[in-house]
Amino acid sequence: MHYPWWHVPFITAPMLIAAIAVVHVLVSHYAVGGGLFLAIETRHAYRSANRDYLAYLKQHAWFFVLLTVAFGAITGVGIWWVIGLASPLATEMLIHIFVFGWAMEYVFFFLEIASAFIFFYYWDRLAPKIHTAIGFIYAGAAWLSLVLITGITSFMLNPGSWPQHPSFWVGFFNPQLVPQVLARTGGALLLTSLYVYLHASFKVKEPRLRNLIEMRSARPALLGAVLIVAGGMSWLTFLPESARSALLAATTLNVLMLLIFALTAIVFIVFYIGPYRNPGWLSPGFSILFLLFGLAAVATGEFVREAVRKPFVCYNVVLCNQVLPSEASALQQRGYLNGGTWTHAWVARNYPQVMRGGEVDAPALLTLSPEDRRSLGEVLFMYHCNDCHAPTIGYSGLAPMIRGWTPEMIDESVKRPEQLRFFMPPWMGTPQEAELLAAYLRTVVPPYPGGMQTGSAQ
Amino acid sequence: MEPSPLIGPASTLGYPAPYWFLLGFKVLGFILHSVPMSLWLAGTIAAMLLNRYGHGHARRFASRLMQQMPLIIAAGVNLGIVPLLFTQVAYYRVFYPATILMAWPWLSIIVMLAVAYYGVYLHVLGLRGQAGWLKPYTGAAGWLAALLFILIGFFFTNGFSLMTNVGAWRDIWQHTSIAAAPLGTALNSGDPTLLPRFLMFLGLALTTLGAYALLDAAVFAGRESPEYHRAMPLLALKIRIPGLLLFALCGTWYFFGALPQATRDYMFSTWHAPLTVLTALSPGLACPFVLLLIRRFSRALCVLAAVVQFAAIALNAVSRQIVQNFELKPYLDVAAERVNMQWSPLILFLLLFVAGLGVLIWMIVQVAAVQRRELKHQPAGKKH
Repeated sequence: MHYPWWHVPFITAPMLIAAIAVVHVLVSHYAVGGGLFLAIETRHAYRSANRDYLAYLKQHAWFFVLLTVAFGAITGVGIWWVIGLASPLATEMLIHIFVFGWAMEYVFFFLEIASAFIFFYYWDRLAPKIHTAIGFIYAGAAWLSLVLITGITSFMLNPGSWPQHPSFWVGFFNPQLVPQVLARTGGALLLTSLYVYLHASFKVKEPRLRNLIEMRSARPALLGAVLIVAGGMSWLTFLPESARSALLAATTLNVLMLLIFALTAIVFIVFYIGPYRNPGWLSPGFSILFLLFGLAAVATGEFVREAVRKPFVCYNVVLCNQVLPSEASALQQRGYLNGGTWTHAWVARNYPQVMRGGEVDAPALLTLSPEDRRSLGEVLFMYHCNDCHAPTIGYSGLAPMIRGWTPEMIDESVKRPEQLRFFMPPWMGTPQEAELLAAYLRTVVPPYPGGMQTGSAQ
Repeated sequence: MEPSPLIGPASTLGYPAPYWFLLGFKVLGFILHSVPMSLWLAGTIAAMLLNRYGHGHARRFASRLMQQMPLIIAAGVNLGIVPLLFTQVAYYRVFYPATILMAWPWLSIIVMLAVAYYGVYLHVLGLRGQAGWLKPYTGAAGWLAALLFILIGFFFTNGFSLMTNVGAWRDIWQHTSIAAAPLGTALNSGDPTLLPRFLMFLGLALTTLGAYALLDAAVFAGRESPEYHRAMPLLALKIRIPGLLLFALCGTWYFFGALPQATRDYMFSTWHAPLTVLTALSPGLACPFVLLLIRRFSRALCVLAAVVQFAAIALNAVSRQIVQNFELKPYLDVAAERVNMQWSPLILFLLLFVAGLGVLIWMIVQVAAVQRRELKHQPAGKKH
């Protein structure tokens, strides 16, 4: 509304956020858990004077820096990039609420980068105590960075009493903070073991060292799996009612949730029986398979986390079509085209005949030619619906969803989408604008599929 | 139609800190970001050219620079977050629309940066003889990275110039959208300030690279031979001369040929005039030091030249900020927004900032001690 809506054909703009976020999370969680793993294990290797293990850890640190400092940092910035493009109003709100949270996170991020480089590039050059201390500085900074970012992302799912008491701390210490910190810390530890396995399975040939790595790096996975389950259960407990209902209502989300718990349980059991109790399992095939399991679990978790927020981007703060809930009733009276900065400018420029005193005159919209009405209906679709639905083919494409609908069904669903599905935002335009949107939808709706023999009289 | 109707309403939340505070961090962050950003923008291509066509110490510098480049990129990406964060706090009403209009080129920056970063890493592995089966591709990776950094710079200039070119939004939008929704395929190519602005910055980046060659010789190149140190000032001058010429030519084009008369008048009014003149001259201010260094190498003078160059970057950033606000003035008064002070998070941030700085300094001290110790114990014959 306040900003232009970026139309991304087929997948819709918000799906770009999901794509980049999932890729980032898979590396950034390793950046957190891997830092702690390297610090603890380097200390262990120094104390036990295990030169072979130390040499392996150095190799792993290079892999870690190459992946997390480069790819992790850039995709992290990438998320910022894409949320500003695909969800500008929500980003505006979050930045204004949490700018100092991000600034604090930046301090830790800076320490992460600096300590990661020093930890790797000064290996064998710093005294063991100093070297280990720098490893722990990295680990601490990375985990605090996770906590700060989680404070912001968990706010998006359940801001608690922030809408009534809008302050930084109320928003940050929201009901979802602890559950998500637990789950993310668990995810970070679990992924770390899987990355270590992958790396070691290709790099280490000596059986004794392989077994040692296997056994020691199974521990983060076991702890991680427990934290994921604990965090996941409390996450479910502190979900807003609508999010929990969305989770229960959507079959896909049900299956995905089950998948997360099943994958976590499988990884836990196999790790306990295998590498932890009976080392000797480490092979490239095993490690690739388990890394894929871990990646699938984490990616699924991120997808579910995004999906259950609907119809909000930030629960009770910003609706997914970039409207503040406080603006909804004014838009219903003044009109959606009128209330949107860019939609208003579009109508003023291209349809000056419907402008009265600088405002879009709602009844005049129906005097436009059918082609113009359809075109303005498409504008309404873009700004009201395209955040979740591709117009025809693509992510949650509308045309396949409404295949075979009668004009009456379309009219009714446009006027009251929130009654059709509680996770859709209400219609925020005038009745005349609803007619324009319906006119557009009527041109994209495919006919009822032929060839079905259901026995119905239709 | 006035283009200002395309700027949305102010946030109901207000600024979390006074405008001057946000602006201060934005400009400070940009100044700090500009140093590594200049080095990767001008440095990668210069290093590739020096490696291909240069000799002796010039090639050695190119190799040193590329080996430092992963750290430089990490620092640049990291420091770039500060201005980006505060731009989004204070300039959100123009930043988001401008970047949405050119969403695909803007988003491609991230992809290009990732490719360029790994290109640099691969090139460095080649320089160290550790590239293995990827060895045949290390040269191409370096060139690709250099090209991508230039393209990234160009797209960045597009984004930030489009942010203030509010008057052009409507036409760009009309021509690159479907049903009022931008496809995000635009560039700010119709803006006469775009090209001179980009080239002017490239010139400034070259002068920064020249200054960095001196700083590197003085501070980081302890293991290099005395001949290497003595050769650096002349190399710095050779890098700086095209940079100065580019800056002067494109700066003149930008200021007298591309900026509107009103902006020029503003930048020559009252106290802006000396700032404008100083900004224009600033990239040349380090030259006397370079000339002195050619006659006699001195670590202190090298550091001084680098400090003067840093001041030039700072002056350019401050002047640019003044122009930016002036360009936006007809549409938006960024300083007029309501302030909803967030005291406790601000104080905690400042405390963490100071503590983080303390930890960083402690780590640097440890590293410096290692460097000193290693240099002391290095046999004389091992020096290049």
